[in-house]
Amino acid sequence: MTESRSAASVVRATMAVVVREPVVAIMLVAAFFDGVSGNPIHALLLGGVAVVLGRDIALGEPNPPMPLEERGLWLPSGWTVAALSAAFALVVGAFPRYSWPTTAGVVAAAAAAIAVAWRGPLMSRPDPGPLSRQGVFAWTAVLVAGALWELQALLLQPSLTVDSQQHPTISTLTDPVLATHLGRTLIMFAWLLAGWFLMRQ
Amino acid sequence: MNSHDVTVLGYALVVVACVGLQLLSLWPRSRVPSFTALVRRAMRGRPGRVGVITAWAWLGLHFFAR
Repeated sequence: MTESRSAASVVRATMAVVVREPVVAIMLVAAFFDGVSGNPIHALLLGGVAVVLGRDIALGEPNPPMPLEERGLWLPSGWTVAALSAAFALVVGAFPRYSWPTTAGVVAAAAAAIAVAWRGPLMSRPDPGPLSRQGVFAWTAVLVAGALWELQALLLQPSLTVDSQQHPTISTLTDPVLATHLGRTLIMFAWLLAGWFLMRQ
Repeated sequence: MNSHDVTVLGYALVVVACVGLQLLSLWPRSRVPSFTALVRRAMRGRPGRVGVITAWAWLGLHFFAR
């Protein structure tokens, strides 16, 4: 009886978290589909973050009060980040895609960024204030349309694991670029800079 | 125009729409927020911040990692 009450309270708490913060549900769904698509490392990352974040929300732990910069932590300059990113992309990009060295490098960079984001914003930024609902709707509509377009291309492939040149996904279109060292280096460098841009917000 | 071209055109239209919205946001009386404002708003709390960075991390994994 106690166990069933306990299970029910866990389910209620989980549902409450999902309703309050749909980002947890989105990550869990993405983890599931990545897992069944044969990408266990991706699924582990998404699922792991979702579970810990869900627990964090359920426990009601407060956000860190101050940005990391104001807590006296050293932050690299933009030029330092650019130089380190270029070196990282040059070295890791030398290995083929989906190889273990590339996987280790990308997972390390991704995990480090998530860990830093967890601790708080890097720096204080002016609050943009309430955004126009129409404006947010416009952005959401365009981004969702892009996601649906990618999804229809994916579903029109012969199978989920066989590419189609008639209905190419973004991954298929970028394959020729990412087949070269230069292409991998440039795209990886852009990915790292995009991460730095996001972390500064 | 074959289905390959139509598919690529669809992606191009999404990119053009994003650039258009970003340009619209620069208009002084525009009600369209910039992409930066949108991201900054989404990342105010820990769930949003971690969610956005995880989405970025996933992109890297998707294109490069096993």
